[in-house]
Amino acid sequence: MLQFPLWKVILIVLTLAWGVVMALPNVVNMSGAPGFMPKEGVNLGLDLRGGVYLEMEIRAEDVIGGRLEVFARDVRTALARTDSADPVPHLAEVNGQTMTIKLTRADEAGNFPVAETIARIDKVNGPLEGGLAGGKTYEVTRAGPDSILVSVPENSENLMMMDALSKTETIVRRRVDPDGVAEIAITPSGTSRLVLEAPGEPDPERLKSLLSRDGRMTFNIVDDSPSAITAAQAGVVKPGYRLISGPTTGPLLVRSIPEIVGSDIATASQGNDEANRPQINFRLNSNGARKFFETTRANTNKRFAIVLDDVIMSAPNINEPIAGGNVRITGDFTMDEAQDLAAIISAGEMPAKLQFLDQRTVSATLGRDSINAGIRASVIGILLVAGFMILAYNLLGIFAVASLAANVILIFGALSGLGATLTLPGIAGIILTIGMAVDANVLVFERIREEQQSGRSLLTAVQAGYERALSTILDANITTLIAAAILYLLGSGPVKGFAATLGIGILTSVFTAFVVTRWLTVVWIKTFKTKQLSV
Amino acid sequence: MLMKIWPKETSLKFMNLRMAGTLFSVLLLTASIFFLGTRGLNFGVDFAGGTAMELNATETVNESTVRAAIPFSADVNAAVGTDARRIVVVKFGEAPEALLGPEFQALSPEEKAEQASGATNELVVRSLVETLGVNPGTDILKNDTVGPKVSKELFRDGITALVVALILMLAYIWYRFEWQFSIGAVAALAHDVIITLGVFAFLQLEFNLTTIAALLTIIGYSMNDTVVVFDRVREERRKYKKMPDRDVIDLALNSTLSRTLLTSGTTLLALLAIFFLGGPVLRGMSFALIWGIVIGTYSSIFIASSIVLSLGMDLTQKTVDDTPGFQGV
Repeated sequence: MLQFPLWKVILIVLTLAWGVVMALPNVVNMSGAPGFMPKEGVNLGLDLRGGVYLEMEIRAEDVIGGRLEVFARDVRTALARTDSADPVPHLAEVNGQTMTIKLTRADEAGNFPVAETIARIDKVNGPLEGGLAGGKTYEVTRAGPDSILVSVPENSENLMMMDALSKTETIVRRRVDPDGVAEIAITPSGTSRLVLEAPGEPDPERLKSLLSRDGRMTFNIVDDSPSAITAAQAGVVKPGYRLISGPTTGPLLVRSIPEIVGSDIATASQGNDEANRPQINFRLNSNGARKFFETTRANTNKRFAIVLDDVIMSAPNINEPIAGGNVRITGDFTMDEAQDLAAIISAGEMPAKLQFLDQRTVSATLGRDSINAGIRASVIGILLVAGFMILAYNLLGIFAVASLAANVILIFGALSGLGATLTLPGIAGIILTIGMAVDANVLVFERIREEQQSGRSLLTAVQAGYERALSTILDANITTLIAAAILYLLGSGPVKGFAATLGIGILTSVFTAFVVTRWLTVVWIKTFKTKQLSV
Repeated sequence: MLMKIWPKETSLKFMNLRMAGTLFSVLLLTASIFFLGTRGLNFGVDFAGGTAMELNATETVNESTVRAAIPFSADVNAAVGTDARRIVVVKFGEAPEALLGPEFQALSPEEKAEQASGATNELVVRSLVETLGVNPGTDILKNDTVGPKVSKELFRDGITALVVALILMLAYIWYRFEWQFSIGAVAALAHDVIITLGVFAFLQLEFNLTTIAALLTIIGYSMNDTVVVFDRVREERRKYKKMPDRDVIDLALNSTLSRTLLTSGTTLLALLAIFFLGGPVLRGMSFALIWGIVIGTYSSIFIASSIVLSLGMDLTQKTVDDTPGFQGV
């Protein structure tokens, strides 16, 4: 307990130095520091910097209802007249998470061709994107002499919700942060929720109206002639055209009336071309496919702008007329870009209306007030504790206060280094930890006092004090650590921030009290050959 | 210096006060359960749903103008906010449906239930902007709306956290000590939690997410205290094999007394600083913690230890090392 070989000393000093380096950006502007130094201080929570927290949900019945509406159109195509089969007249009705198809014409014997119709529907009932090859998306069963029930099995439902949630997330992000510069966090939570955290955003109503809007997706023919663009940029836009732009394409002149609209698109996904470069595959529904074929035939070698909410996503060249409604966009995409574009094209409009479950706004003013109050409470709390310790334990108290200072630095270093978020309850957690951090010191000092009273020499008393207090310190802190861990796992927002600082604080306070204070004490005793410490 | 005043050895007979302590605790517990049953907890928006709003008080924005501006009856009060700012606190649930506009009335009943709080919030903000010229970005200091779905979940998660924490700690104490200790410790924790809840019900303090965090911290702290005493009890028990249990426990309590008071003292000092200077957001939490430390210190002496005394100690089973695996740290 009293031996500090060089490697231990180096380890202690390195740990403390790490804490100082990591904590430094919280007090000093580090923008001019060399590259290896951290530049960012601790993240402040929304309650301290002001901002908007929104929890949103998409409902399963909306998502699945929407998918069934699309499937109803596939069913209509599948049951239409073909070269080899007669049409099957029917009425399809989506009801919550199921669809009922009622056959309207019986044969001469009065029977409805239910089995035959199910077989024809199953031909268009392929696997979901992301699902097992050869699997079926829907469960199509006989529900009566003239009716068929289309339901969604659980694994399809899960895939649909996952898909819908990731699309909603993409749309939400594009909507609240079109330039990709704002510091807005959007995190999926569970299978149907999104949490949006926008620091500094003063108006939650603006965010909500932005998010409750429908997404508009169009395909427009581009007029590429340089003279028309120049004229348009000078303010003379060709009649029937609009000048819009996009981040990758720059300004382009497009026809005002779109050729394809969002409702013409069935699905889109990322795939690979012959050279294994990422591309975007998408499928138009029958109506869209017909329009697409006609448009591409009439406009070969022009560019087709894919426009989302008046921003050009991409403007690929039409190389040849395209039939069948299966379209691909090749280009200089990375895998991620292709996936994102596919998600955006695919989503087009929000898959389901967003429901707002929980909204919390803190103004920047209140955030500043809270920081001020938090700092004042911390400084006074620390001074009170420090004064009390020195009064109670004299020299050992000073060592304890030194290790308390090291503790505060390590807590801030760890919070900054781990990218944890500091909230107002988190500040309370730090103050509480400081109050409790002295506990380990007190346990040891009391033991030292007892040992000295029973007549042992100072060094033996110190040795015995630390040895005997160890198991108590560990037991006591592990129990608090359990509470902090559970709070972190089950808590949300500010409470998580409290748990993080409490947990980190417990670890650093055990280290500083048990290692740093002991080291200081031993160095002092050995240097000054102290025989008696008043405790 | 302080420790010079403190007697070198105390020999208080805590266990003689055991019956008085038990009686006192039973009284407190009964009162707590009574107030929890009659007054109930004053749930904040986290658990009750609805809206809590804070407005910056100015000449035009004050308690009466705000009350007049809101087209239905809301709970409006003037208060002093964080950093001594003068504020108006507005609390409300759902406005009558007729006020919420045709778009809301067109929703399905299920959607209405979930969206009513949000729609009411929009209505109130719009009214404040239109009649009082409130700037939503700067004059509304805080605006929290929680729908019924999330408030139920937050409550469920909070209770789950409390129960899981209690079970894990029970397990840990069982592993480190004997079953008698583990029962004593958890009884003390339950005692602390129930009485703290009782105080919240009696004083009608707002009970919210941070209060749950505070309760868990109280559990951690009370456990911390109990463990320190138990460690000492175990140690003295081994040292004085012939001494009666009652004297062993008194000895352990006396030898940890100065530590208990010092640690509680420093922690209380830190918490009092938060209570008086940390602003209203932290007031409920720091109050719970202050109360929890007082009751936690009391319960580790009078509840945890006296239960161990009643159940008796049997240290023949686990007389191995104090610190399995921790040696040589």
